[in-house]
Amino acid sequence: MPQPSTRNTFNGFALTWRMPIIVWQVLFFVGPLLFMVAMSFFLVKNYRMVEAFEFKNWEKMLTRGYFWDSYALTFILATLSTIVASVLAFPASFALAFKVSPVVRRWALFLLIIPFFTSYLVRIFSWYVILAESGVVNSILAQIGLGPYTMLNTMFGTLVGYMTLTLPLVVVLQTFALANIDRNLVQAAHNLGCSPIRAIYTVIMPLAKTGLIVAALFCFILSFGDFVSPYYLGGSKPPTLPILIIDTTKSGQQWPRAAVVAVVMMLTLITIAFASLALAYRKRASR
Amino acid sequence: MTSPLVTFDGVVKRFGDFTAVQRLDLTIDAGEFVAIMGPSGCGKTTTLRMLAGLDQPSEGTIHIDGQLMNNVGPHKRDTPLVWQSLALFPFLNARENVEFGLKMRNQGAKERRDKAMDWLERLGVAEFSERNVETLSGGQRQRVALARSLVTEPRLLLLDEPLSALDAHLVIRMQSVLTRLQRELGITFVYVTHSQSEAFAMADRVVIMSNGEIAQVGLPRDIYREPANQFVAEFVGRNNIIIGNITGNENGNLAIQAPDGLFTVTDYERVKNVNDEATFVIAADLVTVSRTPAESENTVSCTLISEEFIGSVVTLFLETKQGTEFKVQLQERELITLDHTAGGAFYLSWKTADAHLLPG
Amino acid sequence: MIVQRLINWSLRGYVLLLFVFIFSPILFSVVFSFNSARFPTIPLESFTLHWYKTIWNDPDVWTAARNSLIVSACTSVLATFLGFCTAYSDYRYNFRFKSAYLALVLLPPTIPLIIMALAMLAWFSKIGASGQLWSIIIAHSVLTAPFAMAIIRLRLNQMDKDLESAAWNLGASEWRTMREVILPFCKPAIISALFLTAAVSFDEFAIAWFVSGLNKTIPVLILEIVQGNIDPQVNAIGTFVFLVSMTLVIVAQIFFTLRAGKMMS
Repeated sequence: MPQPSTRNTFNGFALTWRMPIIVWQVLFFVGPLLFMVAMSFFLVKNYRMVEAFEFKNWEKMLTRGYFWDSYALTFILATLSTIVASVLAFPASFALAFKVSPVVRRWALFLLIIPFFTSYLVRIFSWYVILAESGVVNSILAQIGLGPYTMLNTMFGTLVGYMTLTLPLVVVLQTFALANIDRNLVQAAHNLGCSPIRAIYTVIMPLAKTGLIVAALFCFILSFGDFVSPYYLGGSKPPTLPILIIDTTKSGQQWPRAAVVAVVMMLTLITIAFASLALAYRKRASR
Repeated sequence: MTSPLVTFDGVVKRFGDFTAVQRLDLTIDAGEFVAIMGPSGCGKTTTLRMLAGLDQPSEGTIHIDGQLMNNVGPHKRDTPLVWQSLALFPFLNARENVEFGLKMRNQGAKERRDKAMDWLERLGVAEFSERNVETLSGGQRQRVALARSLVTEPRLLLLDEPLSALDAHLVIRMQSVLTRLQRELGITFVYVTHSQSEAFAMADRVVIMSNGEIAQVGLPRDIYREPANQFVAEFVGRNNIIIGNITGNENGNLAIQAPDGLFTVTDYERVKNVNDEATFVIAADLVTVSRTPAESENTVSCTLISEEFIGSVVTLFLETKQGTEFKVQLQERELITLDHTAGGAFYLSWKTADAHLLPG
Repeated sequence: MIVQRLINWSLRGYVLLLFVFIFSPILFSVVFSFNSARFPTIPLESFTLHWYKTIWNDPDVWTAARNSLIVSACTSVLATFLGFCTAYSDYRYNFRFKSAYLALVLLPPTIPLIIMALAMLAWFSKIGASGQLWSIIIAHSVLTAPFAMAIIRLRLNQMDKDLESAAWNLGASEWRTMREVILPFCKPAIISALFLTAAVSFDEFAIAWFVSGLNKTIPVLILEIVQGNIDPQVNAIGTFVFLVSMTLVIVAQIFFTLRAGKMMS
């Protein structure tokens, strides 16, 4: 780190570079989020929002069965997505971390980053066509005398969508976690008579624990907040929480109620994030 | 008497709890080549950075050319530094690198270009002027860095271990380039290094620093032959250090009783009294070694432990019965007559005049 | 060791399968965009440019494309500026509450877009800034600035720690050093950040949908077409969108891996 040149760090030059992001984020990141929390206590009268501090919206939402149905469904779907993505990604990450040359690994990681920056919406629409009753998958299956299977508007469809969203990221994060393991430790385990399969869960997984958990956490956050897959591929019956937000905002003009849903989602995610980071960075249990 | 170019007056530099420079009083005259030498962490680089204005003293004052420099920003002084890492701008070619300082002084493009080319020429790297600096060799990059610092014709050039990344044979070449430039330009060089050979080969005056303080300032020869204290004696050259008690004093000729025998040392300054503890050093190259007991005032017998061969000079490591280690440097051809491979005793001796009593 | 080999090859096969899964929607979208079937499936029907002609002649598509272009261009400049300021502050200075400062900058992408969308919609209505193109631009800059910051910060890490001091030493003020040394050094990363943030903004639909009002961008247009029914012109728009995003990402990647020295001389 170069030393600040002459005067103390509180000079015009330093502030010029430090202030823009603070001002910007306070105005357009912290501001909106805090306002949304406040809004959950506002009232709607004659289709107009009135600033107030009432618990009406919270009562309305939290006492409704359909809200809790949505909550349970969203939570279950996101959990399922996290488990499936972590399990599906692991062998691939393992192969990319240990079984291929660095050049191949670099290319693979580059390819995996591309989908993250390309239209998720179009990819989901593509799946919609592929998975349809008379779509690509069923046409292929028909060739060998199977099907047709209903894949759209099912949990399977939603999961395919979630995987499209999360798998590339999970593989990338897992690969980084695994590639950073000290190879000598793995070899030491083999040397001590540990079979390769056993070495995976006695040596490799504990060593890469933090990275694997962070990958799972990102997967959960993405799935929990996604509305496209459950809507277009899952049929949104019942709606997940993000769909609930859209419906409440777009059709009913009930922004405060949507804010309640959003705040509940935020609280859930913050809890999950802290819990999993605590787990990820926990010192090894004493024996 | 001209006033000194640089004056450090009671300069202290602290970084948080760590004191990098304890208390520095030093003057540097115009046209001098001063080397600041010391082990890593001794405060020599901090001293240089304070001259450049990259660090500011916590206490005390620094004057350059009679002007108080405390709180003058680094860009407002003309104290170019040749960096250990060279710090050439990777996105500029060699010539553009040299032009940088002139551009900051808002000189015209033509003028800049001419001056830069002059200096590249002068340092023998004109042919690489349009090359990307990352494609140049270590020695070439070194010369570009020098040209970049000298192009503004400063009165004071700072150098921070500039040769430490070079191969041994290039170091010698660059040393002569540096000394020649300094003589020709008549500007002041302040050269920080941990290498004794670089400091002694080039500098008019050497400053030895230890733990943020000056241990000794002097001509290279004086520092080598007459170290002011045990730190300098151990840090510079190969010195044998003997500690004993003064048992007699005849007109400044001290008789010193040490574990390995009775020795005589001259106390020119007359600072010592009988029964004082005294430490004296005898340089390894001033010790005579033979296989037969020597007729001399100062002699010890030793056994050979090991030898170190570095070309024409050989260092013998010997040990007395009391376990004191002695180092003796001699020419390789002298070794042949010594029959040193056979076992048995070696007798070391030196002239009283060659022994140097440490003051204090 | 035959078992070991078998395992290795099946692992590689698995990776390939995974890539097929990830890229098949992109592939099919492109293939179907040239297919005449109204409801595309296998076997394919005849080759056609019909869907492209349809979107070419659709003024809505043109308006949306114009909006998208403005939004992603402005977002990328704004986000890269914010990202650069933050990356430089983080590189150069230590100050109190720095971790809080970094958290403030880096958190937005971890918050579900739908929540951001609702919060932005409400906030912009409150301060009277909703329904404009620049509402989207502001929201997207918050979302994408962390990406720009990360890219530029990585580049600053590669800089010789003495380079900035060397410029001061040669007589450049802090501002001049910024212009003459820091910015040129970061140029490849800045270009990379411009393209990458443009790509993210170009594809974002949730926030854009909520705050855009009547100013639809391309992703919002797709969202609305898809809500109706199956319409293969989505494949044509989608192919165009993929092409743009891929180009942006690949250009970003090229500049990201480029070393500063190579691009200047």
